[in-house]
Amino acid sequence: MAATTTRRVDIPQNYETISWKWMRYSGILMIPLVWVHVILQDVIVGVHAMDAAYVASRWGVLFWQVYDILLLGFTFAHGVNGLRQVLRDYIHRPDYLRWINIGLLIFWAVISFIGAFAIVNATNSVLFQ
Amino acid sequence: MQVNLKIFRYNTEKGGKFSYDTYTLEAEPTDRVLDLLEYVRNYHDGTLAFRRSCAHGVCGSDAMRINGVNRLACKVLVKDLNTTQITVEPLLGLKVIKDMVVDMEPFFEHYRSVLPYFINDEPAPEDGRERLQSPEARERFDDTTKCILCAACTTSCPPFWSDGTYVGPAAIVNAHRFIFDDRDRAAEQRLKILNEQMGVWRCRTSFNCTEACPRDIKVTQAIAEVKRAITTGRVD
Repeated sequence: MAATTTRRVDIPQNYETISWKWMRYSGILMIPLVWVHVILQDVIVGVHAMDAAYVASRWGVLFWQVYDILLLGFTFAHGVNGLRQVLRDYIHRPDYLRWINIGLLIFWAVISFIGAFAIVNATNSVLFQ
Repeated sequence: MQVNLKIFRYNTEKGGKFSYDTYTLEAEPTDRVLDLLEYVRNYHDGTLAFRRSCAHGVCGSDAMRINGVNRLACKVLVKDLNTTQITVEPLLGLKVIKDMVVDMEPFFEHYRSVLPYFINDEPAPEDGRERLQSPEARERFDDTTKCILCAACTTSCPPFWSDGTYVGPAAIVNAHRFIFDDRDRAAEQRLKILNEQMGVWRCRTSFNCTEACPRDIKVTQAIAEVKRAITTGRVD
């Protein structure tokens, strides 16, 4: 007689499944993003050596622009999704929850956009002239 | 030894606020908390309400909070508590009817929602006796067969405290028992139920359930296996 068998099941992916996976995959991606950031900024360069010239030189490179935008977008989305779970404990009405989900999505998009805009355009700022 | 037993008291019919009664009792270190409650009911206050049946950790009737932790009163010895101050309270997350007696109906409603019974409409084997299963296949879901439905896990779960519509660890454990049974044919049906908003995704992996289980079921692991089956589409 066969040992344990593998059976296939067809379970449609829904909002909950996707958001749960998002927390895991974004968490995995955050490990290299955050660690490289921390080691570079706090250990190799050091917080005392960081000035406007350093930031301008860093954000003048396309690679670091993309890197920092990804770091901001993923970590912030991870945090906002966590906040959604916390709010879920206190707010039970489905219509309220729907609006909260939409609000949090807009919140994430706006803050991420402002951050990305600042990173891309920082070197044009008078602060770095 | 002397112990101070502080007991939660509330009566839905009388309403008002809950209170605590405290009794100083002579106890043996090997007395169970259930023995202390029985003593109080027999010799001090016959109106004290708590559930009990087998008193040997099999029926799951006497789950309650003992010094803040969900336990079966019949399985906790006085010496296990390492203190002479003992506080006994009802399970959290379920409505208190009287003293330690809570309304278990929401708990059993969640349990029924996951179809906790064998489903296989295929014809029975030729000899008409039973659907044979290998020891390995039986072992796959052995852990989750041990559940006694005491509700200690579900009522120790923070998401369940905040929203009683969450199906809860016990229901998932009992779904796991049939999902991973290779003779059963309704795994997909159960997984679809548990994939809903109030299903497994409310679990935050806090491990309270695993710590609370008086049968030492690896509850959080069982929930994780159900999540994996949903995300991968594989039951193995």
